[in-house]
Amino acid sequence: MNVAMHLGLLRTMLLIRRLETAWADAYFQEEIGGIPPALSTGQEAVSAGACAALEPGDYVFTTHRGQAPQVARGLDPKRIMAELYCRRTGYNKGKSYHVTDVTRGVIGMGGIVAGQVPVAGGMALAQKLGRSDRVSMAFFGDGASNEGAVHETANLAAMWTLPLILLCENNGYCVTQPVAVAVKAVSIADRAAGYGLPAAVVDGNDPLVVYDAVAAAVARARAGGGATLIEAKTVRLGGHLAHDPQSYRSKEELAAAWEQCPIKRMRERLLAEGLLTAEGYARMEAAVEGEVAAAVEFARQSPFPEPREAFDDLWA
Amino acid sequence: MFDRRLFRPGGPVPQREREWPSFRGAINEAMREEMRRDPAVFQMGEDIAGASPFGVTARLVTEFGTERVRDTPCSEVAVVGAAVGAAMGGMRPIVEFQFGDFLSVAIDQLTHQAAMLRYLTGGQVKVPIVIRLPCGGGQGAGSQHSQSLYSWFAHAPGIKVALPATSMDAKGLMKSAIRDDNPVLFFEHKALYRTRWPAPAEFRDPNHVIPFGRAAVRRIGDDLTVVATLTMVHHALAAAEALAKEGVSVEVIDPRTLVPLDTETIIQSVRKTGRLLAVDEAYLTCGIQGEVIALVTEHAFQALKVAPRRLGNPGVPVPFAPPLEDAVLPDQERITSAIRDMVSA
Repeated sequence: MNVAMHLGLLRTMLLIRRLETAWADAYFQEEIGGIPPALSTGQEAVSAGACAALEPGDYVFTTHRGQAPQVARGLDPKRIMAELYCRRTGYNKGKSYHVTDVTRGVIGMGGIVAGQVPVAGGMALAQKLGRSDRVSMAFFGDGASNEGAVHETANLAAMWTLPLILLCENNGYCVTQPVAVAVKAVSIADRAAGYGLPAAVVDGNDPLVVYDAVAAAVARARAGGGATLIEAKTVRLGGHLAHDPQSYRSKEELAAAWEQCPIKRMRERLLAEGLLTAEGYARMEAAVEGEVAAAVEFARQSPFPEPREAFDDLWA
Repeated sequence: MFDRRLFRPGGPVPQREREWPSFRGAINEAMREEMRRDPAVFQMGEDIAGASPFGVTARLVTEFGTERVRDTPCSEVAVVGAAVGAAMGGMRPIVEFQFGDFLSVAIDQLTHQAAMLRYLTGGQVKVPIVIRLPCGGGQGAGSQHSQSLYSWFAHAPGIKVALPATSMDAKGLMKSAIRDDNPVLFFEHKALYRTRWPAPAEFRDPNHVIPFGRAAVRRIGDDLTVVATLTMVHHALAAAEALAKEGVSVEVIDPRTLVPLDTETIIQSVRKTGRLLAVDEAYLTCGIQGEVIALVTEHAFQALKVAPRRLGNPGVPVPFAPPLEDAVLPDQERITSAIRDMVSA
């Protein structure tokens, strides 16, 4: 058992949660405006587990709910928060909600549902043509799974044996629509057989289970075995966007979902296994809180872009 | 009369044209030279390795193999997306669409992903892709295989648009397109594929490129400026030739690229002639003809002797039956008639 890895996964999930909570607070206190935050609350284990299975040179393509993989791949919380505060010190210089850091293999997308999936396929093609053993991973939601872009890319990935992981975060809802309304297959992963791809359905609230499934898919892709579709079943605790009161869900349903909170589950498990003490967890929380507070402070102190910068970076 | 059907395929190549490079052969040669020069350049498209539809990719697979000349399924979204991702990963993909109209299927991948990702990431990525789009009417190909949709894409920020009218330009502009670090749409009028055009010696020079944003003055004149693209360049030149016999001196400008557009050459010409006619197969409403007229009106209003005019598809689908097709597309006769009206006004 790798104790450091288990504790690291818990810490990553905690950092995602607290960073996003600070983001939501800034929105509710009207410190920032614009489109409300898309929170990964409840889904942290998917990004934490999946990104732990990747190495430098691998790429992830994110959805609109993209802060979790950014944190999980080790991006600087200061520059993530600065971007969300629309500051020029942000990774994208205040140009996008979808934080990108090419040096760490994170391409922020998601303005158009499923638009990132074909592009991830293209990066996988470049990795294959370049004779590297690097892989690409496309995050997409259960809603996006009904988009043609996903179906075409899955088919192309099978045809060309692309080193691609199609990682579906099934959080149960496409905005207000329950998954079962629009997915008539047994599962989203069940569709993989139609493309000739291997697939797995995993507990998306357990980072170790996600890690194992993604690590197996990554190993297969690195060895030239092609693409895999993984459906991580998880829970969306924070609503579609932060201002969503989720009036379309019952109190009982939400309470049951909170019982599945991946941070709660991992913490209790590590405490029970004796790998974590209450004091150790308190120290971890304090360290994370400090990191988030520093990120918020950095964002607040950072300047907005100059108006003339609106005209930069269109053309290469 | 100069008939658009002269461009239609079939019939032997006239003796005097045998030494001239064909339009589609010029594109083929440009791609071949660039694939030799740069191993990052590769091709994707339907049937481009097996039996390339208009013959533009003919024999490339023999030299470069199926890794670099990749047949794709009928999946426009995934293929354009694959080009975007591969370009971000350091490759330089060229994508062929069998008919340019089909790009409508993948418009998100082009206008939001390919065109915007550099901007959205604050300049962290570049997306050097070329998408080849057979376009234009006159072949009885029907409404969904005959359009000239570059106005749609010139409207979207972050996309360059090339419109070659001769073999020389097809080759030189294609080489520029492949070397460009931005997304480029390369519109190829289907009626031009089999045509042959005299080319200067530098046509054979693999280092010769034609830069974007530099218009070609195809004919020098004093009385009126025609701005035309693709086959309309040749219709305009035929009209100018006929009108010269009537003592009307027409200048014909071929912008060659719409983005970037060489506004300076167009404006200078209109300052000299005082009259502007913009001709294109594009739909007139929000079309490129109106854009050219707007630019000239903003910058050289005082030079205009008569109101500028535009010719184009007035706003119906390009019809299937040739007599209907001829009723909606501009041609030499309509250009001649418009010029006569404008110089006698």
